[in-house]
Amino acid sequence: MYLYLYDSFLNNKKYTALLAKTETRLTDLGIGGKIFRLSPLRNVAELINDEIRSGVKTIVIVGNDKTLNQIINLAVKFEITIGLIPVGEDNKIAKALGIASPEEACNILSSRKIERLDLGKANDVYFISEIAVSSGAVTIECENKFKVNTKAKDLVKICNLSPLSAPAEQSAGGFNPQDGVLEIMIHPLKADFWQFLKKGDKADKSVIPFKKAAIKSKIPLTVATDGQKILKTPVAVEVLPKKLRFIVGKNRIF
Amino acid sequence: MFKKEDGDNVETIIGPSVQVEGNFVANGDIIVEGTVSGSIKTEKNLRVGKDAKIFADITANNAFVAGEIQGNIKIKENLELTNTAKIFGDVKTKILNVSPGASLNGKCSAGDEHKAKFEKADERGQKASRDKNYLAPEEI
Repeated sequence: MYLYLYDSFLNNKKYTALLAKTETRLTDLGIGGKIFRLSPLRNVAELINDEIRSGVKTIVIVGNDKTLNQIINLAVKFEITIGLIPVGEDNKIAKALGIASPEEACNILSSRKIERLDLGKANDVYFISEIAVSSGAVTIECENKFKVNTKAKDLVKICNLSPLSAPAEQSAGGFNPQDGVLEIMIHPLKADFWQFLKKGDKADKSVIPFKKAAIKSKIPLTVATDGQKILKTPVAVEVLPKKLRFIVGKNRIF
Repeated sequence: MFKKEDGDNVETIIGPSVQVEGNFVANGDIIVEGTVSGSIKTEKNLRVGKDAKIFADITANNAFVAGEIQGNIKIKENLELTNTAKIFGDVKTKILNVSPGASLNGKCSAGDEHKAKFEKADERGQKASRDKNYLAPEEI
């Protein structure tokens, strides 16, 4: 049984035709189900709880990366399958998962290719793609074995799927959300014009795999999970291997 | 030996802006372009860049060194030192490849051959006659 959760921004009239077309396609494919529209007044956690108790096995998120992040944080405690229909802008995670458009998403849901994906956890917040630390020197203590010290001008990210900031094509094969580890990615920001022109030097960046780490800094820095929720350092990060059952497309980047 | 172009298969890259302290253990290939202190251990390959500085004991399967290492190096197979390599520590490897200009300060042990035992000439003669007098079971 499918539960479709529509983000509140889809109430905008410009999405009406697209949603109607998508719903028709889903019915044709025989995978229609209950539809709920999210709103600030509705307790989503309670809704998901009730629906899973009444037999829902698959939740399909209709919206963007923000919707995905929100629902995953609520649904992670249940043993259910997650599907995604990307609508609107800011759908980089969907692209990385091989789901390019709403039409394609319907066919992907129908073919139901399920992969178990690793999930990252930063303090109590779950993330599927990455967390980014705002600029500032940080120390990352990995598994109590070694420390990684970065400079203030370095761009520091913890990646699971692929960097949101980089095009999916560029990062193809870079980060695998099924390898049971997260990667620290440190990219020195180009200081001047000539350095900016010098490109393609892979060794400029650092990529260090780990399972459990603590991000610390002398002054509190902001940490954004999947570009959405904001935390402050210190942040404890860990990987939850194969935690998420996700319906993915064949054009996924891993 | 892996080359720089193989960067896509490398699991760990320590870039020039990064400093790593502690016991660093990796399952895959490692590229070091920054600073590492403590120890480095990998079952696969290690590449030390020209500007890298390592203050650590190293254990790896193969290593390609162009930077500075202050510590003991233990390589299972092939160790290659380029003309910019500076080693301050003992080296133990199976195959050692040193480019002219490389600096190596420490004890060096390359190859897995065992020393031949020294035998005096008369001992050698006795042994030869013993072999001559020996009869195979089928000859008896």
